[in-house]
Amino acid sequence: MTKAVTTLSPTRMELIRLRRRIELAQKGHDLLEEKMDALMMEFLGLARRIRVLRKEAFAELLEAHQKLLKCMAWMGTLETVEASLESLREAEIEIASRSIMGVRVPTVQAVKISRKLVERGYSLHTSSALLDEAASRFEEVLSKLCELAELEEAIRRIGWELERTRRRVNALEHILIPRLKSAVAFISFRLDEMERDDFVRLKRIKAMLEAREWRK
Amino acid sequence: MEEVILRELAKLNAHLPKKRISLKEALENPEIELADGGVHRFKSSELELLKTLLPEKDWESLKLPILIEMNPKFGKGAGRIRGLLECKVVAKLLGKRENEEMILYLPEIAELRARLSTVTEYFFTA
Repeated sequence: MTKAVTTLSPTRMELIRLRRRIELAQKGHDLLEEKMDALMMEFLGLARRIRVLRKEAFAELLEAHQKLLKCMAWMGTLETVEASLESLREAEIEIASRSIMGVRVPTVQAVKISRKLVERGYSLHTSSALLDEAASRFEEVLSKLCELAELEEAIRRIGWELERTRRRVNALEHILIPRLKSAVAFISFRLDEMERDDFVRLKRIKAMLEAREWRK
Repeated sequence: MEEVILRELAKLNAHLPKKRISLKEALENPEIELADGGVHRFKSSELELLKTLLPEKDWESLKLPILIEMNPKFGKGAGRIRGLLECKVVAKLLGKRENEEMILYLPEIAELRARLSTVTEYFFTA
């Protein structure tokens, strides 16, 4: 910092220029802080939603698994696996992107996951109603898992952006602005010093001229 | 370092759309082009929610995304919503009194963003 300060030319123009830079840096700091607050709000909001959604999804998954186990016990493991191999494994999911303050996050929307009985593809004659129930539960939970995937990716990217913005804010707050302020203080001090020098010099000259007058 | 900061400030609003579109247009095509070249997609569930909040004659006049103006002079974390229809929608969602201009505070913005995350967008001004 000392090196930076000593290379400055102590002029009024430099002082004005530095004051303008401080103003800009301060404005930038305020704006980036606003952005950081908004990002933090998004981050916390997402974290809250993820917590609720995860709990719900896990509860539903557990229920679906229980249904599947019941079905396996009733129909037999082999028959259930056979039915699962017969079923169609297509799910329509729409993946796009959206922007949260410049952070691109994916949007994952389940368009068509819940299917009718006949659309699933396995034989209805040989399978039990328990299998239908388990399948419908898994379909329900899949759309929730899509939403969860979207939110978890969003929170990861927002967290990264938050960290980046915080670094910028800290750099402004703890490095750039103090450095500029110390440069302003240095130039102000030097200008005051120069003014005092001039004043003393003028007084000396005046005294010398007056002394010369007296001698005459 | 100053250059980095200036670059950062320059792209603070780069996520805004090149042109805002009406709710009616968004219902037909929910994608908009952004100033940074990206594409933003409105969630259909949010557009459906907006449909229920406004009469059909206003669908053409409501411009999306609804901008939340963030300015340090409003106070920490506070934002402003401008526009009659925009305020009407937000007021209905948050249970506030309608006005041509509304100042929202942090918890209100959080609630608004939680309910309308794709059809609202932050906009930073100094």
